Amino acid sequence: MSQGFDKIAKTQARAHLIVLEQTDWFTRIVTLSPKLLVLILILPVLGGLIGVVLPAFGWVPALDKTTLNLQGFIELWQTPGLTRMAALSVATGLISTLLAFVLALMILAAFFNSVWLQRIEHLLSPILVIPHAAAAIAVGFLIAPSGMFARLISPWLSGWALAPNGILPHDPYGISIILGLTLKELPFLLLMALGALAQPELGKKLRQQYKVALNLGYHPITAFFKAVLPLLYPFLRLPILAVLAYASASVEMPLILGPNTPPTLAVSIMNWFNDVDLTLRIKASAGALLQLALTAGLVAFWLGGEKAIKACGSASLINGKRRYADAAWQKITGVLTVFVIGFMLLSLVGLALWSIAGYWRFPAMLPEQFVWLHFDSAFAQMGTPLFNTLTIGLVSTAFAIVLALLCLEAEQLRARYLSNLTSLIIYLPLLVPSIAFLFGLVWIQQWLNYQSAFFNVAFAHVLFVLPYVFLSLASSYRRLDPRFAHVAASLGAAPIKVFFQIKLPQLFAPILIAIALGLAISFGQYLPTLLAGGGRIATITTEAVTLANGASRRTSAVYAIIQMALPLIGFILAWILPKYFFRSGAR
Amino acid sequence: MDAISSLPMLRRIKQYSAYAMVLGICVGISASTASTNNATSDQTLSPWQKIEAQGKNQDVYFYAWGGDPQINAYLQWAAEQVDDKYNINLVHVKLSDTSEAVSRVLAEKAANNNDQGSVDLVWINGANFATMSENSLLLKQWANKLPNFSLTDPDNNPTVNYDFGVPTNGMEAPWGQASLTFYYDSLSVNTPPTTLNELTTWAAQNPGRFSYPKPPDFLGMSFLKYALVILHEQHDADTGENTKAQLNLPATEQNTALVLDPLWAFLDDFHPTLWRDGEQFVQTGAQMRRLVDDTELSLAFTFSAPEVPAAVQRFDLPKSIRSYAMSDGSLSNTHFVAIPYNTSHPQAAQLVANFLMSPEAQAHKQTSAVWGDKTVLVQSTLSSEQQALFDSKQTHPSALPFDSITRIVSEPHPSWVDGIMQGWQMRYGVSP
Repeated sequence: MSQGFDKIAKTQARAHLIVLEQTDWFTRIVTLSPKLLVLILILPVLGGLIGVVLPAFGWVPALDKTTLNLQGFIELWQTPGLTRMAALSVATGLISTLLAFVLALMILAAFFNSVWLQRIEHLLSPILVIPHAAAAIAVGFLIAPSGMFARLISPWLSGWALAPNGILPHDPYGISIILGLTLKELPFLLLMALGALAQPELGKKLRQQYKVALNLGYHPITAFFKAVLPLLYPFLRLPILAVLAYASASVEMPLILGPNTPPTLAVSIMNWFNDVDLTLRIKASAGALLQLALTAGLVAFWLGGEKAIKACGSASLINGKRRYADAAWQKITGVLTVFVIGFMLLSLVGLALWSIAGYWRFPAMLPEQFVWLHFDSAFAQMGTPLFNTLTIGLVSTAFAIVLALLCLEAEQLRARYLSNLTSLIIYLPLLVPSIAFLFGLVWIQQWLNYQSAFFNVAFAHVLFVLPYVFLSLASSYRRLDPRFAHVAASLGAAPIKVFFQIKLPQLFAPILIAIALGLAISFGQYLPTLLAGGGRIATITTEAVTLANGASRRTSAVYAIIQMALPLIGFILAWILPKYFFRSGAR
Repeated sequence: MDAISSLPMLRRIKQYSAYAMVLGICVGISASTASTNNATSDQTLSPWQKIEAQGKNQDVYFYAWGGDPQINAYLQWAAEQVDDKYNINLVHVKLSDTSEAVSRVLAEKAANNNDQGSVDLVWINGANFATMSENSLLLKQWANKLPNFSLTDPDNNPTVNYDFGVPTNGMEAPWGQASLTFYYDSLSVNTPPTTLNELTTWAAQNPGRFSYPKPPDFLGMSFLKYALVILHEQHDADTGENTKAQLNLPATEQNTALVLDPLWAFLDDFHPTLWRDGEQFVQTGAQMRRLVDDTELSLAFTFSAPEVPAAVQRFDLPKSIRSYAMSDGSLSNTHFVAIPYNTSHPQAAQLVANFLMSPEAQAHKQTSAVWGDKTVLVQSTLSSEQQALFDSKQTHPSALPFDSITRIVSEPHPSWVDGIMQGWQMRYGVSP
């Protein structure tokens, strides 16, 4: 402990910070917070993995099985269609990530210097806060044989009086899943890239390089790929890997859009875990390990691909070629962007129509009547889920914000960034497939504390909220002008005073954005809520997924709309409030 | 007048219930250490009165399938009733599959949580019940002691004592009865098929317009069981053998092929005529209903007949929907509520179970506008006032006409569920 303080004392001295009481309680908490952050993220994930590894090797005391064996893996291996499940998971994960990444790059490249980049960002960012389940519901409606597309051409063109036999959604090739995932992940990657570009030094440097490239006669898209991307990519790597890990192991999208003969591996694992036949849990645990291996393989494959492209492509970076059919690419990108945005808008229109639709027989373009019945009946039953959604969101986000702020403050006190390892650990819950560790985590939670379902759920949410909140706050915090803090400290202000009265007011807007983001992430969690709460904690999202697979499209649409509205309200507040409070801080 | 007089009454009830709660806690604490010191009033109370006293003012977490808004609304009504009656806070935990509750209790047993379980009451029957019962996950010998249980005429009514042929041993209280009911879109179907044979012909003539939920879905399994029973009846009628009797016996290695092979042969021919050429199946009955609304399917079925007119009223199905029962038989069964062995609130759960079986709750449930689930109570055991509660008229054109169920097909032994499920998964779980 004292060693740590020595180190801090030294770094503080190096940073010319005058700290009156080096060991006041605030400093102590701040210094300890990165350790707490690491523990909070690493213990549940590792513990959860252990809680899956043991049953995978046949150790399940509840079933009186306490010998280690490979029976689970043998059963898994003999599952009909296992290869198809694994292939479907791998293919949908990889292709959707690749598509989203390529589309994001094309949009960035084509609109790098244009006002349209901001506009596209504004159009797409609401998609970011739409939970996966809601997005899947919306996409499903669009592409179904009775969906909007089919209605647009029926019966005048197609001659269909009844919905035709089609293959989307639920197609055996996973096209629907890829479509859904791509549309959902594209805005995320785009915003991550724009976030990196918003960093003052990096953004300035890249824009200057881009300008120089243009002046040297490079065409815009080529200039982006040669002068901007090589420096930008490292900032996108972790988000891409998180997307890849999520896409290969997600449950909601394949459940709502995917095939079921067989489903993806992750969906099968969930089914086995929930099966009546309790011994299937051994196979499910073995499956979870397979999922982990597949995801790890995909990540390794991506990193390998990165190296390969770097090796092959570095020569062309300096070959001096000024353009690669830039004009054509510009047009293609424009068309694709319009298509993507149109697709999203049409899904949202469909969703809105369904939520107020009366009878709406195929192939009518519009419902026969509009009714508020679906909203009324949903609101009548929504009290508890809404309350749970909000309280869990607030509790987990508040905790995450406080911890993230303390860690960032610790960074500044030590005058150096968190180590690479710590940064990686922050991403851990996003990189390890949740299906692989959540079941084990639930097992541990029950063992430690089996009564407070609320606490268990809130804690599970923290695992997913914390990384996003931290990343969202980090760039603003690190961008703070240190001179304010130095001046305050030299005037005799204690670190706690500097923190609360100098730094936080300046960070008012970013903190609100981080809160809105944290809430949005928490609102959207399905698997963690379902598992950690043992189903006892109903939130808008768990209700929406339950309803998406059951009940009516109209009720699902209502829930999906509310799922979207909640985070949106948060972001609107985060945008409006700074205009009225701490305005001097908003520079 | 009522409102005025009820105020002091309410206060008294609150006082009493507070007293009962304290008493309950004392009893709970002292029961294990000094049972002789129990409050003297206990000796004068009947066992049921004791349960009433201990069960009041508690939470009951009722794990029940939550995919149907009507049923959810009924449970909300029931929650208000037990709140009024016993000050019990009944929380409906909405499951998308009952097996989630089974997994939950098992996980708690794994964590050595033997008396603070999260599940207090679970809506269950068939294979889920068989699993919980085999693994000793249920509280025993309570359901048959509930006061309202006698209203089911248990001595002459095996359906309340056997769940898919497995004796319940007081582990579950009967809640309702359901039969497989078919419905079709009368704008695209003129005469719906009324037997299994007609169904195969119809499906061949209308390819892609019928499907069934993928096993292990409860409804999909029910369709397969219906087909299995009918196939054996046909076989027996043709050959004079009695293979159908095997269905009521446990599945063994010897009889599995004999019993199930006809089903696979039937499905091999049937599947190519189904939705998506039988290579993809709907996930649940509700998804099937949605596909009927989308006009992708023209014919479907449900285990809860009243859900059909209710869905039409909610705009979830077109007005052209009509319900009917198969003339060669409707698969029927009873569904129950059970209490896990490790419940935190055993007495309160019993109070709720007893209330769910009361004539008042059963009659409300049978009303087609509410849920329309057939009662488990036997009319002859009821007073004329109680019987009057059950009088209701059905008028909705999409509802199943009264008395359309002409022949009942009973559930095969639950051990067949596994065989059907695994055989199905092996043959059709991976599309070619």
